[in-house]
Amino acid sequence: MAGCRDERPPLAPRAVASDLAGADLQRGKQLIGDYGCVACHTVPGVKGSTSTVGPPLAHVGLRGYLGGVLPNTPGNLVRWLLDPPAIDPRTAMPNVGLTTDEAQDIAAYLLTLH
Amino acid sequence: MKTWKRVAGITLVASAATAAVAAGTVVYLGLYDVSASDQHKAPVYYLLETALRRSVKLRTTGVTPPPLDDAARIANGFKLFQTHCVQCHGAPGAAPEPFALGLRPEPASLVGAAYEWPAADIRWIIQEGIKMSGMPAWKYRLTDEEIWDVVAFMKVLPRLTPQDYRDWSVRHPPTTTGRPDTGDTALPEDAVRLGDAGAGKMAIQQYLCATCHVIPGVVGANRHVGPALTGMASRQYIAGVLPNTPANMLRWLRDPTSIDPLTAMPDLGITDRDARDIAAFLYTLTEHD
Repeated sequence: MAGCRDERPPLAPRAVASDLAGADLQRGKQLIGDYGCVACHTVPGVKGSTSTVGPPLAHVGLRGYLGGVLPNTPGNLVRWLLDPPAIDPRTAMPNVGLTTDEAQDIAAYLLTLH
Repeated sequence: MKTWKRVAGITLVASAATAAVAAGTVVYLGLYDVSASDQHKAPVYYLLETALRRSVKLRTTGVTPPPLDDAARIANGFKLFQTHCVQCHGAPGAAPEPFALGLRPEPASLVGAAYEWPAADIRWIIQEGIKMSGMPAWKYRLTDEEIWDVVAFMKVLPRLTPQDYRDWSVRHPPTTTGRPDTGDTALPEDAVRLGDAGAGKMAIQQYLCATCHVIPGVVGANRHVGPALTGMASRQYIAGVLPNTPANMLRWLRDPTSIDPLTAMPDLGITDRDARDIAAFLYTLTEHD
């Protein structure tokens, strides 16, 4: 079916990692392990991640919304990672104390998950 | 003519004739179920979807969209969207009207469509409609400029939160309203009795869950507007906010915005019985990935 897709861009561009200038997605992948994201999320490519507390992060790059509330843009993903309860006070996802650089690196990695 | 060529030719003609007779028999005997209460069988669904994509692409090559970022164009597109589109397609935090939930094929989530289709194709689909889908040809009712206005608004749509969309709606009030009251959504914890998973799998089609979520076992449920529902039985939280218990699942399905006012998932008017059936089906989803 993928062979049927064409090269013309879709009406609305999806969020892509390269929108986050200077972000290091390999470091982001490393940080996902270091900050214990995998305690709650299954993240493709990150070892030891099989948890089902939060939703699996496969296909985050294709997702329309983040946390069910925020349109999926690179900027919104960074904001969400930095302080989820500030965006949605009802969310179970905590603020894990990322720096902005770290959040950008993690966002860059997550946006490669299609 | 060489013998092998003759044999190959005869074989080909005989196979084609057999296939045509078999297909004709299925059609004549009425064996294919045309009801909208269930989705097409998977091979038919993918055949039709591929036919749609190829057909639209063939008819839009070479079309260059006008500039779509003009604010007046987008505002007018929103008004048209409110008048003609949201009733069937819904919007961030806004469910389609009840009649639209019964359409098969289901009206697409236009957030998903904007991410998937080129501008020229969306304009063509609005203009020409799609046979046997419920999508009307708008070119007899809207001008070409108005259709591009709707495309321009759809370009902005994926970036709107549910609150943004409500704010736009206040600025430009919609012309139609009304959905039936499905009754009190409060469920006592001890009244939790899940329904029939098989019925739930069919009900999932009727509330257009498949236009936004990947749902294993449901034909056509391959969109990533919301999170995948894979492995829902082993998930710890519902929507990231509620512990995953059957009682909470029913509360969430019946009235998501009362649980999380910020959620993009709309209140779809799911009845108590359907919610119990859908929950029963979701709890059959155990496989991990």
